[in-house]
Amino acid sequence: MKICAILRLVPDLVEEIEVEENEIIPFRYMPNERDEHAVEEAIILKEKTGAEVEVIGIADSENEADLDEGLGMAAAKGADKLYKVVLDRPTYKRCEIAKALADFLSDKNYDLILTGIQAIDSYAGNLGGILARYMDLPYIGGVVEVNVSNGNTIVKKELGGGLLAEYKLPLPAVVSVVSAERPLKFVPFTKLRQAMKKANIEEVELELPEIEGVEVLKYEVPPEPEITLIEGDVEEVADKLIEALKELSIL
Amino acid sequence: MKVLVFGEVVDGTIQNITYELVACAKKLGEYLTLVTSDADVSSIDGRVIKVNAGETNPWHYKIVEKVIERENPDLILFGNTSSSVDIASQLSAKLPVATSVYEVSAENGEVIVKSLSYGGKIIVELKLTTPAIAVVNVGSYNAEDGKGTASVEEIEIDELGVRDGIEFLGYIKPEEEDVDISKAEVVVSVGRGIGDETNIEMAEELAELLGGVVAGSRPIIDQGWLPKTRQVGRSGKTVTGKLYLALGISGATEHVEGVKAKNVIAVNTDKTAPIFRVSRLGIVADVNELLPTLVDKIREIKEG
Amino acid sequence: MDVEEMLETYFERINEIPNSDKFIQCIQCGTCGGSCPYGMGTLFTPRRMILAVRAGIVDEVLQSGAQWLCTSCFTCSLRCPSQIPITDAVIPALRELSLLEGNPPEELAAALMNITRYGNSFRESPRKRDRWIKEVDFEVPLISKKKKAEYLFITECFGAYHRRCKEITKAFAKLMDLLGTDYAILGNEERCIGDLVRLCGEFGLFEDLAEKNIRVFEKYEFSKIVTHDAHAYNALLREYPRFGFKKEVVHHTQFLYNNLEKLKEMFGKLDYTVTYHDSCYVGRRNGIYEEPRAVIKAIPGVKFVEMKRIKENALCCGGGGGGVWLDSFIKDHIKERPAESRVKEAASVGADVLVTACTLDVPMFEDALKVTGLEGQLEVKDISEIILEAIENS
Repeated sequence: MKICAILRLVPDLVEEIEVEENEIIPFRYMPNERDEHAVEEAIILKEKTGAEVEVIGIADSENEADLDEGLGMAAAKGADKLYKVVLDRPTYKRCEIAKALADFLSDKNYDLILTGIQAIDSYAGNLGGILARYMDLPYIGGVVEVNVSNGNTIVKKELGGGLLAEYKLPLPAVVSVVSAERPLKFVPFTKLRQAMKKANIEEVELELPEIEGVEVLKYEVPPEPEITLIEGDVEEVADKLIEALKELSIL
Repeated sequence: MKVLVFGEVVDGTIQNITYELVACAKKLGEYLTLVTSDADVSSIDGRVIKVNAGETNPWHYKIVEKVIERENPDLILFGNTSSSVDIASQLSAKLPVATSVYEVSAENGEVIVKSLSYGGKIIVELKLTTPAIAVVNVGSYNAEDGKGTASVEEIEIDELGVRDGIEFLGYIKPEEEDVDISKAEVVVSVGRGIGDETNIEMAEELAELLGGVVAGSRPIIDQGWLPKTRQVGRSGKTVTGKLYLALGISGATEHVEGVKAKNVIAVNTDKTAPIFRVSRLGIVADVNELLPTLVDKIREIKEG
Repeated sequence: MDVEEMLETYFERINEIPNSDKFIQCIQCGTCGGSCPYGMGTLFTPRRMILAVRAGIVDEVLQSGAQWLCTSCFTCSLRCPSQIPITDAVIPALRELSLLEGNPPEELAAALMNITRYGNSFRESPRKRDRWIKEVDFEVPLISKKKKAEYLFITECFGAYHRRCKEITKAFAKLMDLLGTDYAILGNEERCIGDLVRLCGEFGLFEDLAEKNIRVFEKYEFSKIVTHDAHAYNALLREYPRFGFKKEVVHHTQFLYNNLEKLKEMFGKLDYTVTYHDSCYVGRRNGIYEEPRAVIKAIPGVKFVEMKRIKENALCCGGGGGGVWLDSFIKDHIKERPAESRVKEAASVGADVLVTACTLDVPMFEDALKVTGLEGQLEVKDISEIILEAIENS
């Protein structure tokens, strides 16, 4: 079995993001958390089934350096092969990325393509489903567990409120992961640095197709909310909160 | 503008998001709803096409494609929920799409939407050429406005000539029947800012004093500090009661989507925390410091 | 890793740490376990950890989680008749195995990950490390502007970001300001000094932090480092020289003692009964016992009382050695946190104020006040805070 997991970068929200009307300028990028879970699930499947795991990192010329940590992390956890896909320009359109990726993946013969269910910057599409259609493969998202036995692939999908559903999936397929079966494995610094040094990363440049239909009119910071903000010492604010609870006749 | 709503069914029940989407569609022009599983659709306002294709399944996008061919809508609305996104995202290989949308409008035959992105920190305004797809956040429109009397047309799945690809095996329901936080009037909800597990007990005590229940954000559930049934947000439940008291919750978009209580009061150390954007009262304080004092004071009031 | 690999990795690490050859001299006396604040919480006390390593069952120790039940208080190391470096070697090397296995307690894993990514455990922007200087009414000089200073003041992460600990940073900076000290801070160029990282067994990250910090130190001209963070003091004093850092390091208790004559002239009267908590890395580890006592006793009106467990026998606050990131893990294994026992002890000797000299202590003890119901009866203050109060009362 051959699996790949897709690892994208998203702006690091711990740092300030500059917002202008026609662009946003993040200070730096970090791996998309849901994609990290997709990588983790791929590693779990490797442990369960001995599958071969390849991780495909996606960046563009502006943020490619920020991808190394995520790829190194994947290598340290046991990924067999790493790709660094550098797109020829940044894009917010998931369909453009999916189209380019679909061409790139078409001859790789993966049984399972894993991706994170979403990213903080996915306002123009979710990658997994679009990719599946361009590759003409079955697709399911919202997955929290993948099991492969006797040629059957059974996934658990999260429906909210603690409710799950099980589906049987024909392979090859594309699966979007919400969270891996276990918490992300910790990788100590030395192991990460060694993995980053040793990692065999194949760099690929991909040309993005232009797909029309979606256009950003503007970016803006949400207006300051109409809210009463209370600051002060604990005693004071506790009293004010109690007053508010009384007003709502909860107390 | 003609709008097609994808009606969501989970475990045989039409989900509330369906009515919210109908409410949105109504404001834009002509509308109809497609439901692909067996459920009671009689309260959906307006035209309803019902195709009984079994439990909601990602391959149902093929049914939507057929109905798009037949009805030629300008806009197709989906809920930003686990099963609807499966379908919306596959259709968006062919049609322009906007996700995490909270406001939809039509202008000169084009669709304009607003999306709350980057963890709720940035609004993105997008223009889509029609036909287009908008994936709308739960709670963006009032469900009551989408309720009414349905005029239902049933189509046999065989007539559409589409086949199954993925097999639905069954639901796995939460092990214990727990309190339903979506129905509680008062929800005391804890997030990462609560610090450590021992503070959950104090939050429970506060909830009890206020006649409510304890819930939490994803990190708290992931840590195993509260059961999955207590999760608020996109992958959890939506709270709709009188008060949502958010303690140490930053308010990521996925979380805020599940917060539809009439009043939100938030406590957070970070003045710029997005949770304050949906609150009527914000308290800038450390939950760990505030909670013991608050519990003591309320206990005194209750006992006195 | 299989057990063989674990043992090999373990001894490779141990052998790099000074005095670890004493490991073989363990006489299994049990002094360590008897001295340990968490000794009752686990089967694998330090003595039995060593025994398990000898018996080749190190994997069983890791499975028990005992390696995380250590607050690096140094009591076992100080009392060990064979002088085995338990705190600096035996336990961190076990923790390293746990980290290599990839499954440390989650709270701790997140803290280490944050330090790797942001240079602080708080998941805060490194570009906000100097924000506290905007919250004071005097100018705090940045070394990047001043270029040269006698003292470089290291605030460390807690002192820069933690809401309560920032107040200690501000108080100490104010004292230096009042004393006319020639000092400066690194501001956003400072990153985690890393003593807790080292004690948690993340040796690779510690080395990286030390090397990066030293590279920043080398950019500027200063003669001494002063810090109110006991762990930063310890690492700069004892660990950084290995990486080539050779400057004098002063703890803020020593600095205050050295300036006591000048401070005395400014003191007003304080009507408190005060007791002093010997923080592990000020007292037991680094032998600073008398300076803070002399400073506190010099405040007019203060009645000084001692607790029972003092100086080398002082009880730990529980925050060291990564304890601040292990609270829920530790709480699963013990009935009463050490900080809770400690504040009760302070109250029992009639103190109104518990004075400490380590930034970690203050939030640990203040939390304990809430749990024990002593809030309102006992206050916790850093030594710089009580001194500033005495001055402001004049």
